[in-house]
Amino acid sequence: AGSYPGGPYGGGPPAAPYGQPPPGAPYGGGAAPGGPYGGPQPGPYGGAPPGGNAPPGVDPEAFSWFQAVDADHSGYISVKELKQALVNSNWSTFNDETCLLMINMFDKTRSGRIDVYGFSALLRFIQQWRNLFQQYDRDQSGSISFSELQQAFSQMGYNLSPQFSQLLLARYAQRSSNPSIQLDRFIQICMQLQSTTDAFREKDTALVGNVRLSYEDFLTMVVTRML
Amino acid sequence: MAFPGQPAPGGGFYQGGYGGAPGGPAFPGQAQDPLYGYFAAVAGQDGQIDADELQRCLTQSGIAGAYKPFNLETCRLMISMLDRDMSGTLGFNEFQELWAVINGWKQHFISFDNDRSGTVDRQELEKALMNMGFRLSPQAVTAITRRYSTHGKISFDDYIACCVKLRALTECFRRRDASQQGFVNFQYDDVSEVYEII
Repeated sequence: AGSYPGGPYGGGPPAAPYGQPPPGAPYGGGAAPGGPYGGPQPGPYGGAPPGGNAPPGVDPEAFSWFQAVDADHSGYISVKELKQALVNSNWSTFNDETCLLMINMFDKTRSGRIDVYGFSALLRFIQQWRNLFQQYDRDQSGSISFSELQQAFSQMGYNLSPQFSQLLLARYAQRSSNPSIQLDRFIQICMQLQSTTDAFREKDTALVGNVRLSYEDFLTMVVTRML
Repeated sequence: MAFPGQPAPGGGFYQGGYGGAPGGPAFPGQAQDPLYGYFAAVAGQDGQIDADELQRCLTQSGIAGAYKPFNLETCRLMISMLDRDMSGTLGFNEFQELWAVINGWKQHFISFDNDRSGTVDRQELEKALMNMGFRLSPQAVTAITRRYSTHGKISFDDYIACCVKLRALTECFRRRDASQQGFVNFQYDDVSEVYEII
């Protein structure tokens, strides 16, 4: 990264060389996930069951989806069940890593599963990311290409080299003349990036743009933030 | 400083309930290494194997015993772990080295799987990793367990995936710690290197 006014990472809000996390938009008004960018699928019989008797505070639609996704009626949704329920625009199911990251984020009991409240929050979370994804997918192809990814990072406030975007696409996209990523990888990358950035920010108290890590610190940071 | 995760040289191949024995056809003109049979069965004219071929090769060799075949992602990472010439593929010598490393990890796994269930739990995993020399915080062990366990148990191939990642991360750190001080300065952009591994 070059040198810009305002700090080691270039422009951006003061005292924030690491850029900003994406806007934490509040849940906006009851739109159910779905449409061309995928989302929870209806159960095998088509259509979600009516969302009567939703627990207090849980959107009836989210409750319907929960019942459809909780295949074994355990009252909890596992990584495996979640994976079956979420699709990308190309009809591929969400990858394991993304499902795991999201389950961990909304799993209050640290059991590796989420209840209806966690699931409801997770749906809102995915909706927010889907909105951002659609915004950055300028040509509405259903996937995000190199230039779109670069622009996404830039608009999110990250100051990352083009090589970084290239590396991510090489790692996560199907090989093609114009590699691009689906919604699941986009969510995964952004969550990991946000997490790592928070970790850096915590340790780089002087905001000089680098951190000095011991071997154990390094392993702990990667393992707890990026796996 | 010494870096952990270097297993002892691979032990014998015959492990009773834990693994098959090699026994592929000997390749004429080659050293009498039974491993060459497995290798040659998947390698093309160029004498190199990529991640898909490695997955087939390891599965056919039976090193995972009764367990499910190695995850393709793990195979990709194993190649990058030993791929000296950065070709994205392994030649036979590199494959031999990989085999020894995996066997070392397997012996280790067996020694910590006290009830011979084919899986280890969080406690056994923690001991196994510590024994290999990884000094991990409790949060790190929890994160690893969450990532690699199913119902709180870690299977052999997930254990291998974990070892491969930890070793690759160790290499990443070691490459930057030329003076072997145990500390490295990371620029923010360096996080991209970690993305190659995880």
